[in-house]
Amino acid sequence: MDGIIYQLKSVRKDKMCIMSFFLPVVLAIFLTVMGGIDLSSLEEADFAICQRYFSPEDIEWLSKYGAVHTYETDEELIAAVNDPATNILGVQKTGNYIKVLISGDELEIFKEIAASLPVIYEQRMDTSNLKIEVLPQPNFISNYKYVFIAIILIIAMFMGCVFNAMNMVSEKEEGIIFINEILPMTKRQYIFQKIFIGFIFGCLSSILTVCFSLRLSLRYILLIMLLIVLSAFISALVGMMIGKWADGILIGIAYIKVAMIIFIAVPLVSYLLNLGKTTIGKLCYLVPSTATFEGIMAMINDNTMEAVKSIIIMIFQCIIWLLIFLAIEQKKSYRD
Amino acid sequence: MQKSLHSLIKKDFQMMISGKFFLLALGSLLLYTLFINFGYVNFMRMPGYGIYLYVPPEESFPEQLREKVVVVQSEQEIYECLSKDTNGVGILYSESATKYILYYGSDTLDNHRIAYAQSMLEGKRFETPIVVGKNTDEMKQRKEMSCELLFIEIVAVGFLGIASILFKEKQMGVMRVYGIMPAPKALFIISKLIVFLVSDLVFAALLTLLNVKYPDATHILPRVLLQTGILSLIMVLVGMGCSLLINDFKQFSLAYLVVALFISAPVFFSANTSVQNNWILWHPFYHLYMGMKNAFFDFPSEGIAYFLLCFGGIFLLFVLVKAAFIQEFSKEG
Repeated sequence: MDGIIYQLKSVRKDKMCIMSFFLPVVLAIFLTVMGGIDLSSLEEADFAICQRYFSPEDIEWLSKYGAVHTYETDEELIAAVNDPATNILGVQKTGNYIKVLISGDELEIFKEIAASLPVIYEQRMDTSNLKIEVLPQPNFISNYKYVFIAIILIIAMFMGCVFNAMNMVSEKEEGIIFINEILPMTKRQYIFQKIFIGFIFGCLSSILTVCFSLRLSLRYILLIMLLIVLSAFISALVGMMIGKWADGILIGIAYIKVAMIIFIAVPLVSYLLNLGKTTIGKLCYLVPSTATFEGIMAMINDNTMEAVKSIIIMIFQCIIWLLIFLAIEQKKSYRD
Repeated sequence: MQKSLHSLIKKDFQMMISGKFFLLALGSLLLYTLFINFGYVNFMRMPGYGIYLYVPPEESFPEQLREKVVVVQSEQEIYECLSKDTNGVGILYSESATKYILYYGSDTLDNHRIAYAQSMLEGKRFETPIVVGKNTDEMKQRKEMSCELLFIEIVAVGFLGIASILFKEKQMGVMRVYGIMPAPKALFIISKLIVFLVSDLVFAALLTLLNVKYPDATHILPRVLLQTGILSLIMVLVGMGCSLLINDFKQFSLAYLVVALFISAPVFFSANTSVQNNWILWHPFYHLYMGMKNAFFDFPSEGIAYFLLCFGGIFLLFVLVKAAFIQEFSKEG
C-alpha cells in the first residue's frame, strides 16, 4: 500500500500525466458544447452559380438538390470548383439549358450528380405526387454522430497506456529504475503498483468523460463500468510493455504514437467500412479497442446482447494480454 | 567562424543520430507511405448510386434500359440490395404509379436520388460534365494526404526533435561549454536551424516523390520545398524558444500536446471541409497550411506579403530565441 502512495506522489508532480488525463474530458466537454460533429451531413452536394444568369425559380429548383453558393464572376466560380477542400459543382446556364463544371477530382458520386443535373433540369417534373417509400436510416449511418464520442472515450480509456509508458521511461532516464531494483520489493509488487496507477487514472478519466458526453440509460451503468475497467486494465498493461521496450523518451513517444494510431484507427475503419461480419472485421477484434468501440456503440443503440458480447471478448483479451505480458517477464528473468 | 560553424553542425548532427531522430523520421516516412499507397487511396471510394428495378410480371416495360440499372427478380430482392447499398434507389415499376424506395440520407440528397432514378428509368442519356481542373480523384487524395502528413510531421515531430536535443544538451552541461566558447552566440542557433532544415527538406522531398506520382511530383517539388523550409524554420525556432523557457522535457511534452491538438485541429477542420469560420484567418498556421496546400495543388502563389510576413516572423523569432539563449547562458554561469 505504501508503494502505491509513493507512486501517487510521483504522479502529483507530473503535470504531463495529470493533463493527459484531463485531455479527453476537455475534449468531451468541447464536443458537447459544440453540439457534436455530424459526419453524415458532409456528403451533401454543393452548387456554385453566377447569380446574374439564374432566375429565382432556378435557384429554388437547384436548392432542392443541395446547398447553393452564389458568385459574382465566372472566374470566382471556377476557383470555387477547383478548391480541393470542397466538392462544389459549378452550374452555368445558357438559354434554357444548364451545364455543369467539375474539377475532375471529385468522388464518383459527385461526378454522377454533375452528369445527371442537366437532364433533371430539362425534365423539371413535379415530384410531389410520386409514390416514394423512405426507409429509416440504417443504424450505422445515423450513429455517425456518436463516432467522435466513442473515439474520445477510447482515448480516455487508453490514457493509462500513455501514463504508464511515460512514467516508466522517465524513471529509466532519471536512473530511478536502478534504485527500484535494490528496493525491498518483489517484481510482482512493482508490476502491480505500476499497473494499478495507470489503471485507476484511466478509469477516472473515462468515467468523467462518460459523464460529460453520454446519456445512457441507467441499466447500462454496470456494463459501461465493466467495459471501462477492462479497457483500462489492458491499456495499463500495454503501457507497461511500451515502458519496458522503449529506452528513450523520444522512442517512447514514437511507440505511444503507433499504439494510439492502431487503437483508434482499427475500430474506426472497421466501423466506417462496415466490416463487422467479414473475416477482416473479425480479425479487427485482435486489437482490444475494437471490442470497446463496438461495446460503446451497442450501448448507444440500446443493444444489450452486443454489449455483453463485447465485454466477454474484452475479458478474453485481458487474460491473453496478461499471459503474454507474464510470459515476456518470465523469459526476461530467465535471461537475467 | 566557418570552422566553428562546421564543427557545431557536425556535433548537432551526431546528437540527432544518437537521439534516434533519423530513425524516427524514417519510420514515420515508411508508415505514411504505406498508409497513403495502400490505405487511404483504397478506402476513399464512394461509388455512384445503384439503381435496382423490379418489373412485376403483369406489367410490361416498354422502354430501353440504361446499362447501370440492375434488374432484380422480386420485390424482396430490392430491399436486400438496398440494405447492402444504402445509397441506392429501388424502383418498383408500375405503369400507373411507379414506387421509389430508398434509405433516408438527407432531404436534398433524397430529392436528387429520386430525380436521378426517374431519369434513369426513362432511359435518358447523361452529358459528360465539363472538367476545369487538373487533378484526378486519386491525385487529389494523394496530394491532400501527403500535404497533411507533411504538415503534421514538421509541426509536431520537428518541434519535439529540437526539444529532445536541447534538453539533452542542458542535462549534459553542454550549455556551459557554449557559454565559454569563443564563437558568436547566433552560431549555436544557426547550426541547429541548418541541421533541422536540411533533414526536414529531405523528408519533404522523399514524402512527395514517394506519394505523389512522378511527373506531378517533380513539378510541384520546388514550391513544396520552399513552404517546408519556411514552416521548418518557424517550428524549430518556436521549439527552441519553448524548450529554453520550460524546465523539463515532460512539461515540454504538454506544450507539444497543446500544439499538436489545439493548433492543428481547427486548421485541418476548416481547410478540408466547406465549414468556414472567419476567425480562422487570424490563425497564423492556417496560412502556413494553405501555403503548403497551394504548393501541392499548384495553385497561384500567396504573393509577396505572405513571404514578407513569414520572413519577418522568422527573423523576430530568431531574435527572441537568441535573447533566451543568452539568458540561459547567464543562468548557467
